[in-house]
Amino acid sequence: MAHVSFYDQIARNKRNSVLLAVLFGAAVLAFVAAIGWLMVPEFAVLIVLLAGVLVTLDAWWSYKFGDRVVLATVGAKPADPIKHRFLIDSVEGLAIAAGIPAPKAYVYESGEMNAFACGRDPANASIAVSTALLASLKRDELEGVIGHEMSHIANYDIRFATLIAVLVGLAAIVSYMFLRSFRFHDSGDSGKGGGVYIAILIAAVIFAILAPIATRLVQSAVSRKRELLADASGAALTRYPEGLASALEKIGATNKGKEKVSEAVSHIFFVDPNRSPLDELFATHPPLKVRVAALRAM
Amino acid sequence: MIWGIVGIIVLIALICVYYINRIIVLGNRIRNAWAQIDVQLKKRTDLVPNLVETVKGYAKHEKEIMGDVTKAHAAMMKAETPAQKIRAATGLTAALKSIFALAENYPNLKANENFRLLQEQLEGIENKIAYSRQFYNDSVLEYNNLVTTIPGAWFAGSMHRTTMEFLEIQAAERKPVKVKF
Repeated sequence: MAHVSFYDQIARNKRNSVLLAVLFGAAVLAFVAAIGWLMVPEFAVLIVLLAGVLVTLDAWWSYKFGDRVVLATVGAKPADPIKHRFLIDSVEGLAIAAGIPAPKAYVYESGEMNAFACGRDPANASIAVSTALLASLKRDELEGVIGHEMSHIANYDIRFATLIAVLVGLAAIVSYMFLRSFRFHDSGDSGKGGGVYIAILIAAVIFAILAPIATRLVQSAVSRKRELLADASGAALTRYPEGLASALEKIGATNKGKEKVSEAVSHIFFVDPNRSPLDELFATHPPLKVRVAALRAM
Repeated sequence: MIWGIVGIIVLIALICVYYINRIIVLGNRIRNAWAQIDVQLKKRTDLVPNLVETVKGYAKHEKEIMGDVTKAHAAMMKAETPAQKIRAATGLTAALKSIFALAENYPNLKANENFRLLQEQLEGIENKIAYSRQFYNDSVLEYNNLVTTIPGAWFAGSMHRTTMEFLEIQAAERKPVKVKF
């Protein structure tokens, strides 16, 4: 049973990754084409081609090197074979339990207890934990956290998550560029088009404002469900849900929820690095209490 | 009409290919899972002489426990089949446990840098052995489910594949470690 849904999950993640990339790429191109046609019709084709090349490059680049970018943003360093022996052992052990190659272990400096996994597939994956997490968790608890991250890797959540991080960033950039371009665009050529022109332009403005919000909503909705799934399959790896539950409780009691990381990558973390009053809508993780309760009910 | 028949034949062929491949893939996974266990067992066996040397310097007169470890190590070296290896490994696990329990009485040994490193390494390997067993048994369960349920059972029968054995955790492993003084 568990295995079937696990393989379903992998297939779904791979499919969704491709679907999301294609849909999003098409949406960006359509948007750029519409704007290009309205503003500078004579260069519209050129602009669309250029945008297509850029989007493709961006997608390829993030597929190849997305994990390094994410690791670099938090300043993660490879785990020390002697000082962090236990971390490396846990990562290797749980990789064996999950039946995947051992991911590379990283440590990053932070007072907040957190961890994340990144990469494009199990053979090219990394797990990073914060120094505070390493210092405060007991063996069982750390293994619980690593088990959670390991299942993100094993079922290809990481590929989807990296893609989302890039798209959230891209949506923000495209809409920002478009909205900014109004400042430089004077009303000199207002003679053509008239009503239709203005209507489409207004629609484009609304689209540009809503797109980043929409991608954030997708990001958080998709991410919250995944976190619960990873908790469950992580516990199936360690065969000890209590370890993960007590790790979550410790983190809930210690973390201030004010880590300085970009919102675009917040969904890859073990627990939400930022907490805000808008969490009901935008939180990338379910409340800790819900996660603990689900684990205790196993 | 003709296309309908062709379609059905293709569909049946696809289903056959799927199940036959699935049985082979899952069978291979079990073999691979055993290789994982074997690697960890070998790593542990290689560390034991080093541990014995280190402990000897501090607890020479603990003849019985040292003898147990040496015997268990020798049995491990001799074991060839998976079943023998698992049995020998269980003995070695118990013997190592009693050495580490023994170290509690020798503060100098416990403080020895080399000993601490070995203990950490061996604990890590012990954990990995447990996890690789778990993966082995998970793989066996999945494989057995496939070859005992319909339609997988039909294909397994024609491929002469039967269910595989689980790795049982031996009784000795469940018993608490006895330490004599």
